[in-house]
Amino acid sequence: MQVPASFDYERAASVDHALSLLRRHGPEARLIAGGHSLIPMMKLRLAQPEVLIDINDLSDLSYIRIADNRLCIGAMTRHADLLASPLVAEHYPMLVEAEEVIADPIVRNRGSVGGSLCQADPSEDLSAAFAALGASFVVAGEAGRREVQGEDFHLGPYTTAVEADEMLVEVRIPLRPSMGSAYEKLERRAGDWAVAAAAAAIRLEDGVIAEAGIGLSAVNAAHFRSPQAERRLVGNPADQATLAEAASLAGADCNPSADQRGPVDYKRHLVSELTLRALVRAAASANRRI
Amino acid sequence: MTKDVRARFTLNGDSVTWTGEARRSLVDAIRDDLGLKGTHLGCEQGECGACTVLVDSVPVRACLMLAVQADGQDVVTIEGLASLAEGDESPQDNNGLHPAQAALLRHRGIQCGFCTPGMAMALAGVAELSCAAPEQDVAGFLSGQLCRCTGYAGILSAGAELAETAGLGGIEQEAMPDAGGDGGESERFVRGRGRYVSDIVLGAMAHAAILRSSHAHARIRRIDLSAAEALAGVHCVLDGRVLAGMVAPFSHMIPGEAAKPLQWWPLAVDAVRFVGEPVVVAVAISREIAEDALDAVKIEYEDLPAVFDAKSALRADAPLLFPEWSTNEMLHMSWSTPSLDRALKESPRRLRRSFESHRITAAPLEGHGTLADFDRLEGRLTVWASAQQPHQLRSVLAEVCGLAETAVRVVAPDIGGGFGNKQHFTREQALVAALAIHLGGPVRWIEDRKESLTSSIHARAQAHDVDVGYDLEGRVLAIRARIVVDLGNPMLYFSGVGPALVAGGSLTGGYAIPQAGVELSCVATNTCPVGAYRGFGQPEAHHVTEQVMNLVADELGMDPADVRRRNLLPDRPRPWIAPSGALIDTGALHGQLELLLEEAGYVRLRKCQEEARKAGRLVGIGLSSLVEGTAPTQHDVAGRFGSWESAKVSVLPDGSVSVVVGTKCQGQSHRSSFAKLAAEALGVQRSRVRVTEGDTDQLPYGMGTWGSRSTVMGGGAVLRAAREVAATMAKLAAEMGGNPSFDQVAAEAWWHTNRLARGTDPGLTSTVTYTPGQTLPPGGSSEKWSNHDETYASHMTAVVVEVHPTTGKVDVLEAVVVSDCGQMIDPEVVKGQLQGGFAQGLGAVLLEEVLYDSQGRPAWEGFSGYSIPQAGDVPQIRVVFRSTPSETEGGFRGVGEAGTIFTPAAMVGAVNDALAPFGIWVDSTRLHPRHLRPLLRKGLQR
Repeated sequence: MQVPASFDYERAASVDHALSLLRRHGPEARLIAGGHSLIPMMKLRLAQPEVLIDINDLSDLSYIRIADNRLCIGAMTRHADLLASPLVAEHYPMLVEAEEVIADPIVRNRGSVGGSLCQADPSEDLSAAFAALGASFVVAGEAGRREVQGEDFHLGPYTTAVEADEMLVEVRIPLRPSMGSAYEKLERRAGDWAVAAAAAAIRLEDGVIAEAGIGLSAVNAAHFRSPQAERRLVGNPADQATLAEAASLAGADCNPSADQRGPVDYKRHLVSELTLRALVRAAASANRRI
Repeated sequence: MTKDVRARFTLNGDSVTWTGEARRSLVDAIRDDLGLKGTHLGCEQGECGACTVLVDSVPVRACLMLAVQADGQDVVTIEGLASLAEGDESPQDNNGLHPAQAALLRHRGIQCGFCTPGMAMALAGVAELSCAAPEQDVAGFLSGQLCRCTGYAGILSAGAELAETAGLGGIEQEAMPDAGGDGGESERFVRGRGRYVSDIVLGAMAHAAILRSSHAHARIRRIDLSAAEALAGVHCVLDGRVLAGMVAPFSHMIPGEAAKPLQWWPLAVDAVRFVGEPVVVAVAISREIAEDALDAVKIEYEDLPAVFDAKSALRADAPLLFPEWSTNEMLHMSWSTPSLDRALKESPRRLRRSFESHRITAAPLEGHGTLADFDRLEGRLTVWASAQQPHQLRSVLAEVCGLAETAVRVVAPDIGGGFGNKQHFTREQALVAALAIHLGGPVRWIEDRKESLTSSIHARAQAHDVDVGYDLEGRVLAIRARIVVDLGNPMLYFSGVGPALVAGGSLTGGYAIPQAGVELSCVATNTCPVGAYRGFGQPEAHHVTEQVMNLVADELGMDPADVRRRNLLPDRPRPWIAPSGALIDTGALHGQLELLLEEAGYVRLRKCQEEARKAGRLVGIGLSSLVEGTAPTQHDVAGRFGSWESAKVSVLPDGSVSVVVGTKCQGQSHRSSFAKLAAEALGVQRSRVRVTEGDTDQLPYGMGTWGSRSTVMGGGAVLRAAREVAATMAKLAAEMGGNPSFDQVAAEAWWHTNRLARGTDPGLTSTVTYTPGQTLPPGGSSEKWSNHDETYASHMTAVVVEVHPTTGKVDVLEAVVVSDCGQMIDPEVVKGQLQGGFAQGLGAVLLEEVLYDSQGRPAWEGFSGYSIPQAGDVPQIRVVFRSTPSETEGGFRGVGEAGTIFTPAAMVGAVNDALAPFGIWVDSTRLHPRHLRPLLRKGLQR
């Protein structure tokens, strides 16, 4: 089975138009951006929307810019654009590192940031990266726009706070020029979903960690984060002992399941290892940025 | 009912207006509605890259974009790629090709051609990108473009050249290789002009889709087809009982009493025995509607207890797949040399160990596919199939469909990779043939990737319990193996029994082990059928033999190279008669091993290893001394696989030469190779020779391509036939007098027979059946050990690996092979086969594994799960040649399977060599990080 069940197709010309189409067609309608998650599921008939609302024409949602001291990423930004963005590389190189290991260059040409986030695959990379950076998400609906904090955005595997008649329009990350960040992922082969992945962000003040974010992917961490590891870091110097302890806490602060990518112990071990690697690099980067 | 949609876009510069259903993908629209077949479908899930096209200059996956989404955009496919380059350089420079296409050709980055168009489109992107970032990592850039044949070496050098030269004013040209009179087999592929089964269009073609069992073992209680049959556009929806009334059953063709009887039909009748077994077929005016019909079928199953591995299936209380057998053991056989027991008992040292070759699958990038048409007036069935053995498929289809062989024509067009997976004669092929007869018109079925990975053919799945006797000098004196083979559901012609017999017969390999014996147990389980995959039993046996050598070395504290020196076959006599009765005719192995050790710098490697160990690195060296049986015969034990090949060579009136061979290319350059042989034998330019394969109407019979046989058997047949024609021409020329030209003789022979001497046979055509005919030992019986191979190639391999303790990942640092495959037609083709086999061998041990959950459901349904190697996963293996011609016609020895046989054995040896200091020893072919890391954790703690 490789042909989707029949559906009707609508092409949205603006965010408002997309929202009105969503309202008109009800819960059996789905937005399609890059389609790289949705179409494969539709081909296997695991998803059978009655209407697809194409938002690829909404080029006004494809941007990366600074506004109000925040890095703002439009939902229709393609992965390739995030990867190539000098602004992103300057402020949060972790996002570039995460993008480099998402699928392959040709998928990144069409796959979108918003699509990945809304698919909310538990092994998705950007979700962990954004969690570590304390991103918030702007969701548009009939009543206007609302900003959802990271913790409230991911409700569980394949589930987000975006309602059936809403759409994600922007990701916002507060700018912290002295924050160092790094992303580490272990995959079986290039472009594969992670066996485990860790994102680390650190800001130092007077030799002490003033702010820390640890994001984890593919290991069933609540909201893609490890609060225990973060708590262990804040208020302490970024020395080897602290980082190692935090990394070890991260390995415990998640609930990986045994599957074909590996047994539970292996994944916990990887989480600690990858978190440590990310922390070491994030701390070094933070030191340079002071 | 949904409404049709419309898209207007440019396609290779032309404006097109497309109208159709919104669910139609861009690639389906391009291929089926707009007729451009160069863009291929390998997975339809965005995971293989075969469908890559440019949309507004950006490479995208055309299978994940809807056709309607192309509205207003500029689409370029492989057919338009060359003209894209016209702006910046003269296309004549590249023979009318885009630089990416030209580079792929020049660097021989092409075998079966199926991935090639997508690869060229992506490589065109490399050229674009590199202007901005010349350091772009080509392997990373190509990570989404899968190639199953080449092992990426040629593709990566093409990419590197493009990246280096882009923006520097183009690429310096070399002459294109003369590839024969067909315009160059690879050039067709790089232009998107390969023609595979799914590219063939017959008028009013009906499309079949197959509903497969979601239960591992169940009785079928009720099938309700009514809703499916009621859909508009549906021709018919049929279940197994109906089909069983339309065709004769298949049987396994294993003669003798040893194997339990088994018959089966195209679709499951009354019961299903694995997840993926075909249950219902729907035929409709389009694939979409056929799949909609399957969605509307309702089946009630009554679950039965199931069993998913061979050892459990052998237990007395195991659920039975075929209760009438009273066991799951389909076949039990044993044989041994007379003094095996005594030799084991009297050996100074013993070693008892269990080894396993885990279940994998060949995963050719083009899946199976069949198109059949039936002419009711003529009573003739024509079948186009992606099949390695078209003539035997004809025999099987004729039997199953109740037709004379003359009433069946099988055509195998271009094959997008076979690797043994397409050697089998499948239920689906018979199903499509039966449907064409039933409907009296063309019906096609194209396997999708999920079907390919979960319900076509798996491989390996053997466990070997061995008992070895050896002496204190490291000589292995005796080996006994109990081989348990997981057949899966054995409803497959020769199934896993064939590879099992070969494994048993190859156990002693290239070693002079005097006493040997095998006990073979072939077991049915509720999993996908197990059958052929490149190597066919030899990888499993070779893995065991090489690990035995490594263990003996470890036990005695000897160097593994020394143990091999002790055990290798002596250089004389030839043929060497193995315990199995095989007549091994290789060149001298000792010199070949020494050459390997010298080429690899073995002494230096051991020193480097010592240094690395001191620095805490886990580095290991693995050796393999492979003696590979090629061009085999099976002596009545596995059906109808004769040890011969047929060829027909004709010089036509204009002096052009037609060669028809019974082999079937799947990417091994048969056209150019056989053209070269015929050209040399006849004394003409290779460009005047055209080679045809894969059409049963063109040659009475042929054996197809499998078992590393084509050069030996097909090449031998072509040589013999060409020499016969050459002899006739010489005779005619002598009669004509005056030193006539080749063309004059050709014309005279066909058109002016009245001028020839009375009684002269004028026909410049010869059909020969060639067999080397030396497969039986003197006085040997045909049934004792079965598989006596025609000629043996030898390959000595060394690999160096590093195991990363924190992740369990294995990196290959170096790989070198010294290969003796006799006379070579084109060493570059041989290198391509070795590199491609090396890649598949690496994939087998580092990435690939077929897994089932506790309900017998396959864990992977696509390439995102079943990971085959990508461009960045395969280093280049260095190949050194040493050629000892065989005594077959032309002096050839086969080579196609070597890489998949020696690589797993060498890799397991290397990893064990790295980990032995920590008390870790892996006895299976599983070197995946998820398997190694837990062992490492335990080992490193100790």
